[in-house]
Amino acid sequence: MILTLHILALALYGLATALTLAPFVGLPVAPRVLTIGLPCAGAAIHVVAVSRLTLVGLAPALSMLALCLVLLQLASERLLRGSAVAFFTSPLATGLVGLALLIGLAPGAEPSAGRNAWFILHVALSVLGLALLALAFIAAALYLLQFRELKARRFGQVFQLFPPLERLDRLNRFALVAGFPTLTLGVLLALGYAVRFAGGLHVGKAQIVWGLFTWVVLGWAVWVRLVRHWAGRRAAFASIAGFSAVLLVYLALKLAEPGAERFL
Amino acid sequence: MGIKVLGVNHRTAPLEVRERFAHGAHEVPAALARVMAAGASGGVLLSTCNRTEFYLVLEDEGPADAVWSLLDERLPERGRASKYGYIVRDRDAVRHLYRVSAGLDSMILGESQIQGQVRDAWEASRAHAGPVLHRLFQTALHVGARVRTETAVGAGTASAASAAVAVAGKIFGELAGRSALVLGAGDMAELAATCLVDEGVQVSLVANRTHERARVIAERLGARALTLEEAWPHFGTIDIALCSTAAPHAIVTWERVAPVIAGRSGRPLCILDLAVPRDVDPAVAQLENVFLYDVDDLQTVAAQATARRRDEVPAAERIVEEETDLFWAWYGGLGVVPVIKEFRGRLEQLRAAELERAMRQLGHLAPEDRARVEQFSHALLNKFLHQPTVALKEAAEQGRGYGLLEAIRRLFGLGPSE
Repeated sequence: MILTLHILALALYGLATALTLAPFVGLPVAPRVLTIGLPCAGAAIHVVAVSRLTLVGLAPALSMLALCLVLLQLASERLLRGSAVAFFTSPLATGLVGLALLIGLAPGAEPSAGRNAWFILHVALSVLGLALLALAFIAAALYLLQFRELKARRFGQVFQLFPPLERLDRLNRFALVAGFPTLTLGVLLALGYAVRFAGGLHVGKAQIVWGLFTWVVLGWAVWVRLVRHWAGRRAAFASIAGFSAVLLVYLALKLAEPGAERFL
Repeated sequence: MGIKVLGVNHRTAPLEVRERFAHGAHEVPAALARVMAAGASGGVLLSTCNRTEFYLVLEDEGPADAVWSLLDERLPERGRASKYGYIVRDRDAVRHLYRVSAGLDSMILGESQIQGQVRDAWEASRAHAGPVLHRLFQTALHVGARVRTETAVGAGTASAASAAVAVAGKIFGELAGRSALVLGAGDMAELAATCLVDEGVQVSLVANRTHERARVIAERLGARALTLEEAWPHFGTIDIALCSTAAPHAIVTWERVAPVIAGRSGRPLCILDLAVPRDVDPAVAQLENVFLYDVDDLQTVAAQATARRRDEVPAAERIVEEETDLFWAWYGGLGVVPVIKEFRGRLEQLRAAELERAMRQLGHLAPEDRARVEQFSHALLNKFLHQPTVALKEAAEQGRGYGLLEAIRRLFGLGPSE
């Protein structure tokens, strides 16, 4: 059932991705009812699928991250008319669900530990924090692309389809400022969970050091936004630096400790 | 009874003629009253800068003559308005209004302003419109909305002034509350400034070489007048600069504005240079967070939008045709019931009169035979009436009722339509 639901969600996300990217290969812009309706339907199915998962391991985390991305995409569309966010989130979510299916979404793994409310909250907040940081990264990338086109007086697809600079800047600010404390809280909950239920923290020094490094980079990106009032291009670069740090550290730790079950 | 459009538009009359024919909202009731007095049973006057059109429900040519004479009076030396004009009848008149409302007949294809103008015309003519034109204008607004929702015929921006608004919108998102400085006091500057004001931009400063001319435009826009030299420091605070002076060389130079722009803390500045020759030194575009666009850039944006809109015309025309069919079916059915009633009544009178005359000559018939003859006359009349009645109803359902009704009226000498 979990697999079927995921495959259905994957198909809908895939279709939405194809429609979203169609204008870049010269095809007409798809009707809004489809570009919104398909991810909506996919997310509805995906919610049911995720609710049946035990949130332990990489595949469920990827699936949940994809769901968060789609939900944030729909919220951006609704609140900020930031439809171009889907150019990135839609293929990313499709890829993440596909990857989760490839890794394997076995139901029922470690049910007793996984069903602990504390643990679920940790996973949910961490994944939501990561999705928000990914959204900040996407908004920053869109900002820089649109900025370059506007500066160069090119009025092609990017000019036509991407949202205004000011709106992308607002989206970037919101996602970054919301994402950082959410992720921080998620990590703190993990610490609390480990101390209370797992008899202490079982992570290597490298993980602690690089985790702190990532947290500092992200914190700096938020600080320059809120305290130094950076906006526009500089703030976009700061966001990209923050999310890149998350990705690079994750990949580095995965390579250093292959097979580790921890997501971050 | 027929629907007729008489008027002039941007394709048939030059601007100086259209200007003379344009009616303000306060002139509409008097103009329509004159046409109604000439025999029209309904009238709406649509007057914009691109068209003056009388939509009439009429029986004969009297109201049409009244329209042309009304417009003739506005021409110098009693010229002939009809030589600039056109007449569109019945179903084509319905299609015409639907195309107008959808922006398919506009100078700038797909422009949306016309929708509001059609609504205003209907409102201003409400007292004279009558049920047919009420329905026609109501549906025209629906068609306009449908075309804009279901097709991209109104997407993008198709004039340099509106392209300026679109480009500024791509930088700032919402333009409401943004502040603008206008350099120059020509017509182009004023037109573009008006477009920005329509979007909620606050044009706070107007600068010109001559202070007096700046003051005139500034008063119209609710802004403050400046000389050019006073304008440069304001590049540090405004969001949009609109340049359209008649200067023979660039006046917005790096030396004049770079120092103040450096103090903007990274806030974007959009400079729209509508002047030819250009007012802004291209080097200014190199400044951080300065977005500079000249006339060529804005025309590129406008041309792209127009091309995209043209691709949408077939889809828009299909909607217009579909809605014209619906209206015409309603309109055809409108007259069928009273005509059928009158038609049957007329033939019933004939039947009764002829039966009475025959009965006078057949006085020897027994009462039951007389009843049989009367029954025969009823049956014969019903047989005769059956096919025309069915045909009329079918034609009305298919939107062809009006022509058939006219034929029946003429053939059987029925009274004029209501």
